[in-house]
Amino acid sequence: MRALAAFLLFALPGAAAAVEPGKPMPSVSAPQLEAPSAPLALGSFRGSVVYVDFWASWCVPCRISMPALEGMYRKYRGLGLRVVGVNKDVARADAERFLKRVGVSFPLVADGDDAVARAFDVQAMPSGYLVDRRGIVRYVHRGFTDETASALAAEIELLLKEGA
Amino acid sequence: MTRMRMAIALAAMAAAAAGGCAPVAPYQRGYLARPDMALEESAGTAKALEKTFAAKEAASGGGSVGGGGCGCN
Repeated sequence: MRALAAFLLFALPGAAAAVEPGKPMPSVSAPQLEAPSAPLALGSFRGSVVYVDFWASWCVPCRISMPALEGMYRKYRGLGLRVVGVNKDVARADAERFLKRVGVSFPLVADGDDAVARAFDVQAMPSGYLVDRRGIVRYVHRGFTDETASALAAEIELLLKEGA
Repeated sequence: MTRMRMAIALAAMAAAAAGGCAPVAPYQRGYLARPDMALEESAGTAKALEKTFAAKEAASGGGSVGGGGCGCN
């Protein structure tokens, strides 16, 4: 009976499998933040190095990560880096207010029904998934500091050198 | 038999209790960040009221604030 009690205590919060390095990137699509009628499919970036970043205006480390990602996107875009920002704000106006202060040029998608976040089983905010040209997740970053930024730049350079 | 009944009762209670739980995923914390989810409507007013209360009651520190109760900090 004690075993049953323990089982009930721990088994109830259903745990989906988190996306970890070595697993393929979930092939999901989501409406773009600026153009909701045009969905963006993550699978369409196959052949490029992709960084999928989950962010929100209420997420404090995102104030560091978004400008850092914008810098990396501008630097490595020509070499084949794609960045997708998945917004997790409840109200779109909050995201827009944030973007007025921290402008980014990479594509952003909305995830109002949590479909993308559930597919990746996001464990922290922000979370970033660096995917190689074959569509395999190679590095996962949970949280964001200046150290994350320098590590990520090195990882991006490494994956950009790899062939498809 | 009694153990069995107790086990069933325990399972039913656990299931009933779990029904009231709403786990908030890390990416859903925007709901908790909404202004109407704040414990205090205005952080500034709450701080002023707490300071006044602490000074009146000579109870500085009771509201998780450091100090000696002189109402001067």
